[in-house]
Amino acid sequence: MRLTADERWNLIDEISKETVFLGEYDETLRDVLGEVTVKPLTGIPVVIAVLYAFWSIFGSFAGFFTDGFFVKIFDEHWLPWWQSHFPDTWSWLYYIVVGDPMADNCFEAFGMLTSGLFIAIGVVLPAVFIFYLMLTLLEDVGYLPRLAVLMDTVLHKIGLHGYAIVPTILALGCNVPGVAATRILETRKERFVMMTLLAIFVPCGAQLGIMNDVIPDTMGLVLLYLIAGYLITGFVLNKIIPGKSPEILMDVPPFQTPLLSNLALKIWMRMKGFFTSAIPYVLLGVLVVNVLYLAGFIQWLGNVLSPVFVYWFGVPEETAGPLIAAFLRKDLAVAQLSVIEMTWYQMVTAVVLVSIYFPCLATFMMLLKEGRKELLGSLVVLIAAVTIFGGLLHLIGILAGVA
Amino acid sequence: MKKFDSIYFALLGTATLACGLADLIVTISRDVYTFRIVEFPSEMFRGGWGGLVVTFAGLFYLSGFKNVSETHQLSKVVMGSILIWLIAGCDLLAMITESIPGGENGWFNTMSGFVGTYAPPYTPAMILLPFSMVAILCIYRTKGS
Repeated sequence: MRLTADERWNLIDEISKETVFLGEYDETLRDVLGEVTVKPLTGIPVVIAVLYAFWSIFGSFAGFFTDGFFVKIFDEHWLPWWQSHFPDTWSWLYYIVVGDPMADNCFEAFGMLTSGLFIAIGVVLPAVFIFYLMLTLLEDVGYLPRLAVLMDTVLHKIGLHGYAIVPTILALGCNVPGVAATRILETRKERFVMMTLLAIFVPCGAQLGIMNDVIPDTMGLVLLYLIAGYLITGFVLNKIIPGKSPEILMDVPPFQTPLLSNLALKIWMRMKGFFTSAIPYVLLGVLVVNVLYLAGFIQWLGNVLSPVFVYWFGVPEETAGPLIAAFLRKDLAVAQLSVIEMTWYQMVTAVVLVSIYFPCLATFMMLLKEGRKELLGSLVVLIAAVTIFGGLLHLIGILAGVA
Repeated sequence: MKKFDSIYFALLGTATLACGLADLIVTISRDVYTFRIVEFPSEMFRGGWGGLVVTFAGLFYLSGFKNVSETHQLSKVVMGSILIWLIAGCDLLAMITESIPGGENGWFNTMSGFVGTYAPPYTPAMILLPFSMVAILCIYRTKGS
């Protein structure tokens, strides 16, 4: 039996009359508070407050463990122990494992077991832990969908919809799950734009942790540049990439009290990834960079790229080393930058460049898994973005009289 | 009682808004300002961003103080208090994390150093914190009715 559209609607009316009972419902305070966080006029101040709390707790917690205890453990006990117990101070093996024999802190030593472990455990671990704790809390309380609703209008300007905030925030923890989360976006265009923006402009939790430790005063400026780059590049990609960005309906759940067992399980799952992938990559990164230094490759690369670095980006040619390390771990690269002598603005430019110049190896592999075409496209955008954005930063610095 | 609630939150809203604006002005002037037990931070993060949130909290109070017993109005007052709790909670956490490590003098802080960290001056949000707790009373009273 076939029904016309009108007949179908009539049938729906009849069924709903028999099955749906309308009663009176008094809005609870929780319902109204939920509404307040979704309406732009009241919701945006709440977003501003939530983000403030997020970064404040992130900074206090990470600073407490890193500056309060880990710096002391690594600089006063761990490094001197290795320096006094590792044989043959001037050998290449000593340089790779312990690093600079004259160094008196783990940022400068740059050995696999000194700086490598310090960065992974002393700096990045507390930062990543508190980041995931906060993210999981926001997720389980039911705030993330509200953020998605609020961001919908802004993200539509760059060819995405509100849910694109989920991969973006996940990528702030680690780019790998961020890229995986782009699958929630419906069209190829949306996924491509999102992946490209994540790979270029979204720093991971590890990188944020080390930035918080190395450049606390100028971190805000770095993030501002990255947000500007994210929005401008997204806007341009939306204009030039063919395809659709459909509207979606979002289901906003009520606010709820998070379950401790769920929180613990989610944090553990996320931290497991950090232990199994990040720490080995940091150690491998230090090993590769040290071997390349010993082989003279970094010096050679610095010389070759010197005109681009010095005249186009306005940073010292020594930043070639960190840029190579950034391919393995970006947090490692920022730590390396911290010991290069440069002005504060050069440091801001160099950190921004490290952030945008190439996705780390783990993200690169993830992009490859999502499709070769997408990866190639992302790389083309990336090269263009680094060249234009790096030059622009230099120009802004010159115009402001700080470069 | 309703009238008292309205007057209370109108006054609290005005004080909160004044504190938020003062925070922003002090941040622009780039000089820490201390008045008795209140210290207005001048750094961009706590003074600027934090001051903006305190200003929003004041505006929430001022938009919700009339007829507080009504759920929509109460929600604005509660949201104002939540913003104050967020800022004051962050300030308190910063104090706690600062008070425990010993810095150059050892692993942990001395007793006097630990206690000294909690001595005044306090940020405006911390001063406003106890006054913002009245919102909890209003929630329970509304639940009861």
